[in-house]
Amino acid sequence: MGYLALLIFFGIMLSIALVFVFVNKLLGPKSSEAMQDYPYECGVPLYDKSAQSTFHQGYYLLGLLLLLFDIEAAFLFPWTVVYRYLGVFGFIEMFLFILILTYGLLYAWRKGALDWQFEEESL
Amino acid sequence: MEGVVAWLVITLIKILVILGIVLGIGAYLTLVERKVAAHIQRRPGPMVVGWHGLLQPLADGLKLLTKEDLFPRYGNRFLYNLALVMALVPATLVFAVVPFGPEFEVFGIKVKPILTDVNIGLLLVFALGSMAVFAIALAGWASNSKYALIGSMRKAGIVVSYEVVITFAVMGPIILAGTLSTYDIVQKQIEQKLWYLWLQPIAFVVYMFAMLAETGRVPFDIQEAEAELVTGFTVEYGGMKFGLFPLVEWYIEVLSLSAIAVVLFLGGWSPINIPFLGFVDPLFFLGPLSPFVWFILKVSLLFLFVLWLHWTLPRYRIDQVTETAWKVMLPLTLVNLVLTAVVAPLIWR
Repeated sequence: MGYLALLIFFGIMLSIALVFVFVNKLLGPKSSEAMQDYPYECGVPLYDKSAQSTFHQGYYLLGLLLLLFDIEAAFLFPWTVVYRYLGVFGFIEMFLFILILTYGLLYAWRKGALDWQFEEESL
Repeated sequence: MEGVVAWLVITLIKILVILGIVLGIGAYLTLVERKVAAHIQRRPGPMVVGWHGLLQPLADGLKLLTKEDLFPRYGNRFLYNLALVMALVPATLVFAVVPFGPEFEVFGIKVKPILTDVNIGLLLVFALGSMAVFAIALAGWASNSKYALIGSMRKAGIVVSYEVVITFAVMGPIILAGTLSTYDIVQKQIEQKLWYLWLQPIAFVVYMFAMLAETGRVPFDIQEAEAELVTGFTVEYGGMKFGLFPLVEWYIEVLSLSAIAVVLFLGGWSPINIPFLGFVDPLFFLGPLSPFVWFILKVSLLFLFVLWLHWTLPRYRIDQVTETAWKVMLPLTLVNLVLTAVVAPLIWR
C-alpha cells in the first residue's frame, strides 16, 4: 500500500512536470527572429558550435570518489539499522570496516586525489 | 472495498496537501526570500503588486507563463526537456516521507500525516536526492552552451562530493533510532526524551553544510555565480522552464532537506526538549494542533537561517568547496559514526 501511494504521487508529479514543459509552447508568443535561439555567449559568432568537448578532469575524479564511498555507505546503512541487535560483534566488525574505509580515504588523500587538479602552469 | 476507497481518498487528500506545499508555498517563498533579502540590505523589496508585494509571485508566474518557448539551436531537445522533469519529480517525491505530525483520528479513521510511512524512508530520501545530479548534468549538457556546461559541471561536482558527506552524517541518528522510517525516528526521539541534536552536534553541522551545498545556497553557490556564469546551467532555459529550476533548487529542496533535518535532529513535531527529562510545550493551549505548529515552526526557522546565510556570506571557490567536503567533512562524519556506535547502547536502555 505504501509504495502504491508513492506510485500515484509519481504519476501526478510526472504529468505536472510535462505540463510545465509544454505550457510555454501553448501560451507564449511566437516571433521569428533569426538569431533568437543562438547559444548565449559573448555576443560574437561562436568559434565552436558545440560546447560538448573536453572538460576539466577534476570532475571525473570526483565521480570516481563518489562511486567508491557511496557504495561503502550502502554497505553501512543496513548495519546502522540492526546495530542494536548485533552487540559487540557488530561493533568490532564495522569498526574494522570503517578503519579500512578511512585508510582508503587517507590513501586517496596522500595520492592527491582529493586535491583540486590545477593545470600545470610551469610547463 | 470500503477500506480501499477510504485509503484512496485519504491518499489523494495527502497528495493535494503536498502539492499545495510544494507549488503554492514554494512559489510564495520567492516573496519571502526577496523580502528577507531586502530587509537585510535595508531596502523595502517588492512593494508595488498588492499590499507589500503580496501578489508579486502571481505576477511573476503569469509573466513566466506567457514567455516565448525558446530552444538553443545546437542542443538536444529530448534531454533538454528530460532534465526539467528529472529536476522537479524527485525533489517533490521526497515530501512523500516527511511526517508532518503525530497520528490522529478523523471520523473514526486513523490518519498518519505522512504520505507513505515506508520502512526505508530515509534511504528513499537520499536515493531521490542523488537524482538531482542527473537533472543538473543533463541540463548543462543538453543546452550545448559553454556557460551552462561549466555551471552544471561545477554543480554536479559539488553535489557528488556532499552526497557522500550527507549519507555518512545521517547514519548517527539512524544508529540511535535503529530504524530508517522517518515517522519512527521521531517516535523514538519522543520515547527516549532526547532530540538527537544534543548527541549529534557534529552530524547536524555537517548536515547543514551539505544541505547548503546540495541546494546551491551561498556560500556554495559557485555554480550559479551570477557575475561570471549568469546562473549557470539554467542559462539556456526560458519562461516557466527557467522558473522551475530555481523553484526546485532553492525552495523545494531546501524545504524538504530542512524537514528531514528537523525529523532527524530536532525531534520532528515534539516541543522543546530538555535532554533525558522530558518536553516543555509553551504552545499547549493549541491542543492537538500544537505538534503541527511545532513542526512548521522548526522548518521555517531552519529555512530562515538558510536565507540569512545566503544574504550575508561571500562564496567559496570550487576547489575550496570540494576539498572541504573530502578533507574536513568526511573524516568528521567517520569519527562521529564510531563515537555514536560507542555511545548508542547507553541511549537505548
